[in-house]
Amino acid sequence: MRRSLRSWLWRVPIDQEIDEELALHIEMRTRELVGRGMEPKAARKLAIERLGDMTRLKREMADLGRKRDREMRVTLWLEELRDDVKFAFRQLKNSPAFTLVAVLTLALGIGANSAIFALVDATLRRPLPYGQPDRLVTIWEKGETTPRGYASPPNMLDWNTRSRTFEKIAGFTPNVGQMAMAGADGTPETVSRQWVTAGIFDVLGVKPILGRTFSAEDEAKRANVIVMSESFWRTRYNADPNIVGREIRLDGSLWTLLGIVPKDFELLGQTSMWAMRPFVNMPPRARGAYMLQVVGRMKPGAEIEAAEADLRAVADGLAQEFPQTNKGRSVVLEPMRDSMIGSDLKLTSMLFLGVVGFVLLVCCANVANLLLARATVRTRELAMRSALGAGRMRIIRQLVTESVVLSLVGGALGVAIGAAILSAAPSLIPQGLLPPTVTLAFDVRVVSFCAGAALLVGLLFGVIPAWKATEFSSAEVIGADSRTTTGGGGTLRGLLVMGEVATAVLLLFGAGLLLRTLLAVESFDRGYRAESVLSMLVDPLGSKYPTPESLQQFFDQVEAEIMAVSGVKAVGWTSSVPLGPDQLDGYSFDIVGDPPLPENQRPNLNYQVASPGYFSALDLPIVAGRAFDSRDTRDAVPVCIINEAFARTYFPGRSPIGRQIAIRLTDAPQDKPKVREIVGVARQVKGRPDEPKDLVQYYAPMAQDLADDIYLVVRPRSGRADAFASAVRAAIGRVDKEQLVSLGHVMTLEDIAWDVTGRHRFRAVLVMAFAALALLLAMVGVFGLLAYSVQQRMRDFCVRRALGATTNDVLRLVVGNAVRVIVTGAVIGLVLSALLGRLIVTMLFGVQPLDLTTFAIVTIVVAITAALSIAGPAWRAAHIDPAVVLRSK
Amino acid sequence: MTTPPKTPNALLHGALDALILKTLAKGPSHGYAVARSIEEATGDAVLVEEGSLYPALYRLERRGWVEAEWGTSELGRRAKLYRLTDTGRVQLEAEMATWRRFSAGVSKVLFST
Repeated sequence: MRRSLRSWLWRVPIDQEIDEELALHIEMRTRELVGRGMEPKAARKLAIERLGDMTRLKREMADLGRKRDREMRVTLWLEELRDDVKFAFRQLKNSPAFTLVAVLTLALGIGANSAIFALVDATLRRPLPYGQPDRLVTIWEKGETTPRGYASPPNMLDWNTRSRTFEKIAGFTPNVGQMAMAGADGTPETVSRQWVTAGIFDVLGVKPILGRTFSAEDEAKRANVIVMSESFWRTRYNADPNIVGREIRLDGSLWTLLGIVPKDFELLGQTSMWAMRPFVNMPPRARGAYMLQVVGRMKPGAEIEAAEADLRAVADGLAQEFPQTNKGRSVVLEPMRDSMIGSDLKLTSMLFLGVVGFVLLVCCANVANLLLARATVRTRELAMRSALGAGRMRIIRQLVTESVVLSLVGGALGVAIGAAILSAAPSLIPQGLLPPTVTLAFDVRVVSFCAGAALLVGLLFGVIPAWKATEFSSAEVIGADSRTTTGGGGTLRGLLVMGEVATAVLLLFGAGLLLRTLLAVESFDRGYRAESVLSMLVDPLGSKYPTPESLQQFFDQVEAEIMAVSGVKAVGWTSSVPLGPDQLDGYSFDIVGDPPLPENQRPNLNYQVASPGYFSALDLPIVAGRAFDSRDTRDAVPVCIINEAFARTYFPGRSPIGRQIAIRLTDAPQDKPKVREIVGVARQVKGRPDEPKDLVQYYAPMAQDLADDIYLVVRPRSGRADAFASAVRAAIGRVDKEQLVSLGHVMTLEDIAWDVTGRHRFRAVLVMAFAALALLLAMVGVFGLLAYSVQQRMRDFCVRRALGATTNDVLRLVVGNAVRVIVTGAVIGLVLSALLGRLIVTMLFGVQPLDLTTFAIVTIVVAITAALSIAGPAWRAAHIDPAVVLRSK
Repeated sequence: MTTPPKTPNALLHGALDALILKTLAKGPSHGYAVARSIEEATGDAVLVEEGSLYPALYRLERRGWVEAEWGTSELGRRAKLYRLTDTGRVQLEAEMATWRRFSAGVSKVLFST
């Protein structure tokens, strides 16, 4: 130890130090002066005088002295820390097995936490990538039946001009569509395009990196203008700046490319370009077409409540002005961030955070257990230190330093594990679960989270064992026979393991519920057979097939050509595929002959165009009446097929076949309803399994309602549907020799369904993995506890055996304690599960939070794993040879 | 009217540190002994201003150039002894080099003809 440090340890208070020093000085000087012949009194006076202003001098010295002491304390502390850290590393190196297990446990816990933290940070905390995002709100139009619906363009325009709390309001279509353009090699390719209104870039505050965005003049001129995403511009045009301002042919007409915007804008929809949809001089019925998702930028300082009140007043005014379309309609506001992230994702993030938090706690408990066990082994070493003069706090500090070093090493490894998880994450996370701007990045925040977590964890699992380890009387320990050093903290270790078991049970139970949800979702009967149907979006260019007849002819030819492909069983056409995009909603109808329903109580219909082959291609049974056939031509009587929910709801107890329904596209009175005769009832198609209620749906024959964006569905006789993709493309190519058809969304219906169940699968798999990890750790804990106590009580057992106890008696002793710990832990875990189960009720489907099957399965799983972890130590205890053990020590 | 020349030690304020270090290089001693030994060594030409000696010692201690411990004085009383540290020794070398350059420069100007 350095001299200055020793002097620090024996330091006197600073004022006394100064007084003594100066007194000595004066004394010595006085003696010197007296020695030179001065009179003692005068000598003393002179000596004092020569020191100058005594008060000031003392103050100055005291000041300097205090600073010196403070710095010295820091230096000392740092030096001790350095020594402790060095010592800690030496200790860890001396027990590699312990170190390996502890570091790996911590690394797993911290790694999992860091990955989940990245997810939570991205979804819950990061603001939208726009300027002043707090001022952005999503504005939903509220109707009688739709609490949060899209807005009609004229309403949006009126909100924009009449509101006082908004700087600007703009909108976009939620679905991303397709356009055909000439590809780089001259062949047509499909690009994704999203419709937006002119002001959208201003509202979001997105600045183009090149060129400009849409202006009011563009809209007034109804110009064909587009803005391109940076990534598409880079890949397709090699970031050529000259492309800006040029015209591009899309879907057969010319569009001017105004500018390039950075990729943050893709939040609205993952698309290559945004096309301006001008809304000027719209007919009155346009007020009933709800097609825009609307966002607004509030004026600085405006609160969302005030903005909502403001817009409500505007909506009320519109309802009075346009009662036919707007009566009973209002608005709902929501921070844009909330509407973009979605409550489901938020909940999922919270769930994961909770789960990994528990896993980390189990990790901590396990390492704490290891430390407690180790501390008993080290009791003699610690007692020796204590006897040599180290205070209890000093020893605790050193032990805690060891655990923090341990956790920091674990944390460093955890960062690596977290980074690995995150780099694999994009392929593991189902598409559509995360909005495009939510990017999982391993950044400074995640690393600092890891560091913080590691430190906290080190303290958490280090302090209690250190405290326990120093509860001894050194004389007793050193004096004692080494054989009788029994471990303190046995109860504590039991409690820790109990907590681990409880946590593992809780996580297993949650995982069980989510797994049962996944099974329910997957085995769910959708009403059609999805396994082997190929679907693709076919979009012939308008100019090539100008009349409905020529278009119909084209579709017929394609159908015939594909049917001729060997192995194809059925071919059909439809406006939308189950679970797919492009669903047509919001149509209302009256039943001809029944009294009309009041305007705002008219039911909402989901409407689908289908060819005769559609039903056989999807194996969708017609339960009453007939399917479409060649009779249902363009000029024949308009017909339709309704689904089971339709029949059940509107024709209870009577046959719908032969009845007529009058369908309106909007609520506007000038919109003439289309009368169709019901010829059949189709089996109910369940879209999403977790759909709250059955969709009321009707199908119209394709020949009578032709659209040029249509899905082709192909069912092969056998084998995988995606194997037919190229044969089908070739067949289309034979009909469409000039290749003017754009194809998109080529996938099997199963893929689509898989995407829909993706989030359930993701949640179930992830929570299951974490629960398994927790269970493993808990069982390692049980094993450790038991193995240790067997080790400790070996002599005890031997004496018992020698005194006549049977193997069974010993086994009962060993197992009894472990079983008590496990059963108590499991019961606590099950009680917690019952209490916490309802927190995830919104993520469940087809299973209740208090599911008895899950309770039973979890109990069985825990029982089996517990038996496995108990078996080893118990076997060892049962096979003691008393003679060997007693002699060995 | 001419102002009297400044007392050497006021002029040599910066040199006090160097003188203390040099003195302590001979061995540990307490504050008075440091002052006395400087006075003796310079033939009383440099009067150590005692008001600045102790703060200087404290400053040097804070910088780690000297360290203090309790010892016994010639009078048999407890005395605070200062001792040069290794870094203090290095510092002394540096101070001496600086001083050599400085005094050579000043002399060159003052005594040039």
